[in-house]
Amino acid sequence: MYLSELQLDHYRNYEQVDVHFSPDINVLIGENAQGKTNLLEAIYVLALARSHRTHNDRELIQWNSEFARITGIVQRKTGHTPLELIVSQKGKKAKVNHLEQAKLSQYIGQLNVVLFAPEDLNIVKGSPAVRRHFIDMEFGQMSAKYLYNISQYKSILKQRNQYLKQLQRRQAKDLIYLGVLSDQLAAYGAEVTIARREFLQQMEKWAQKLHQEITKERELLTFRYQSQIPDDQLALDTEGLYQQFQTLYETQQSREVEQGTTLVGPHRDDVTFLVNGKNVQSFGSQGQQRTTALSVKLAEIDLMKEQTGEYPVLLLDDVLSELDDLRQTHLLKTFQNKVQTFLTTTSLENVKKEIISAPRVFTVTNGTVAMVTTEVN
Amino acid sequence: MQYPEPIAKLIESYMKLPGIGNKTATRLAFYTIDMNEDDVTSFAKNLISAHRDLHYCSVCGNITEEDPCEICRDTTRSQDMILVVEQPKDVMSLERMNDYHGLYHVLHGVLSPIEGKGPDDINIANLIKRLQKTPAKEVIIATNATPEGEATAMYISRLIKPAGIKVTRLAHGLSVGSDIEYADEMTLLKAVEGRQEI
Ligand SMILES: Nc1ncnc2c1ncn2[C@@H]1O[C@H](COP(=O)(O)OP(=O)(O)OP(=O)(O)O)[C@@H](O)[C@H]1O
Ligand SMILES: [Mg+2]
Ligand SMILES: [Zn+2]
Repeated sequence: MYLSELQLDHYRNYEQVDVHFSPDINVLIGENAQGKTNLLEAIYVLALARSHRTHNDRELIQWNSEFARITGIVQRKTGHTPLELIVSQKGKKAKVNHLEQAKLSQYIGQLNVVLFAPEDLNIVKGSPAVRRHFIDMEFGQMSAKYLYNISQYKSILKQRNQYLKQLQRRQAKDLIYLGVLSDQLAAYGAEVTIARREFLQQMEKWAQKLHQEITKERELLTFRYQSQIPDDQLALDTEGLYQQFQTLYETQQSREVEQGTTLVGPHRDDVTFLVNGKNVQSFGSQGQQRTTALSVKLAEIDLMKEQTGEYPVLLLDDVLSELDDLRQTHLLKTFQNKVQTFLTTTSLENVKKEIISAPRVFTVTNGTVAMVTTEVN
Repeated sequence: MQYPEPIAKLIESYMKLPGIGNKTATRLAFYTIDMNEDDVTSFAKNLISAHRDLHYCSVCGNITEEDPCEICRDTTRSQDMILVVEQPKDVMSLERMNDYHGLYHVLHGVLSPIEGKGPDDINIANLIKRLQKTPAKEVIIATNATPEGEATAMYISRLIKPAGIKVTRLAHGLSVGSDIEYADEMTLLKAVEGRQEI
């Protein structure tokens, strides 16, 4: 699928623009603070009805305006669909084919996007909590069952931690109830663990392929799922994992009461990324870390293709300047002629021009967008 | 300027109700002044009577005018079946179904440490006492399908199962008459998992 046309009304620093995009590669060039990220953000918001940069929708409305409007036309194999999203002080309105949708959940999914922004480097460099959050968001998007299991798990975990605190302070003493909470947590923990194991395998397959393409086969990316369940037991089925967790809760019970918190379970999971067998977080160069983050995040492109039958739209914010020529070339070649790509840069010199076949180039200046008519070469 | 004392007091009373702040309370107080005398009198009477004449049944915990309640006193109902619910309003809905003829037990909540509700804070001890006095054949637990509802069901089951009482859980899933097309994915998943042989 691709976005053939985008109109913005009073969106961030855009008063009014109307842009026609290439189904292949679109390059947005502009100095700092001109509106490049704002434009990518607008496409993201048109797709998901929320921003990747803020939780406060009002920030999207141009200062001193009442509302912001984003409209676009999505082209798919099956035809084209006009989308419209209006953000006002009162909330959001979303239209598909000019018809207002009662629920945002009916709207989302019309346009699929994958965005890579500089902050995504945290998938590799950040804490385990950042990676768990990333995994839960990605997998939650792909599976309603996962979303259900992880949210049940989290709410039981909160109750259990609170109860452990009460036991620790001797405000409670009933261990039968603790046993119930442990069993509940073990049951959902087993479901979450099994789903993470399966999804991570799928994701690893695609990320590995991408990483190889970007590095021209020089680097092999592998994942290691780190769970408290020993590696040789991770292959167990739900029932087997459930029993493993139960045993862990039994053996750790006195420690958990002493510390007043849950020490066992997938809320302590992590995933390690290895490049040629070495942990890239500790031993990788800047470029290797960036490439790893890209490969992991962009694995979603192929996962989505597998699920929906169509490639999503790819948004790359400030990515190229950080990669060497070889990695740039192969990153773009991988998606060329398959995935509509938007990339931002402060100068064309950052882009190896000859590698991109006929990109459509736009200059972004203080809230205006102009197509560069002469083809770069 | 200050409100005359009767109005100020009435505003204060309204503000004791949940979800009512100063503004709404003031509006309600001035409205009350304009109401006709009979309506106000019966309003006041109803308030007092709801409080004075309603009690919790000492057997099942349901709200009632007389203790024990009508259901607990009804000897034509099967005495060896107890259906456990979270709230008095759940008894009302089940009674409206007119299909269940056993007894009830109202928990007044579910176990939730976050809300300060432990095993001693909901009506579980009375259920155990009741079963020790007159053992039932079956206890059906109909708490909601929330994690807290499930945990409460499991907890009760662990307390009473050793006594040889059959414990069942009310099936959840698609409600009767609901349209599959409009059910969310998880409800469907649950309904499929909980399918029964016919
Ligand atoms: N609601 C808004 N109304 C008007 N202008 C806004 C609004 N929100 C942000 N801006 C302006 O948009 C500009 C930032 O645009 P953007 O983040 O797209 O820059 P950029 O081109 O990506 O720059 P860089 O190269 O530094 O990343 C800032 O100057 C900011 O003041
Ligand atoms: Mg930017
Ligand atoms: Zn009763």
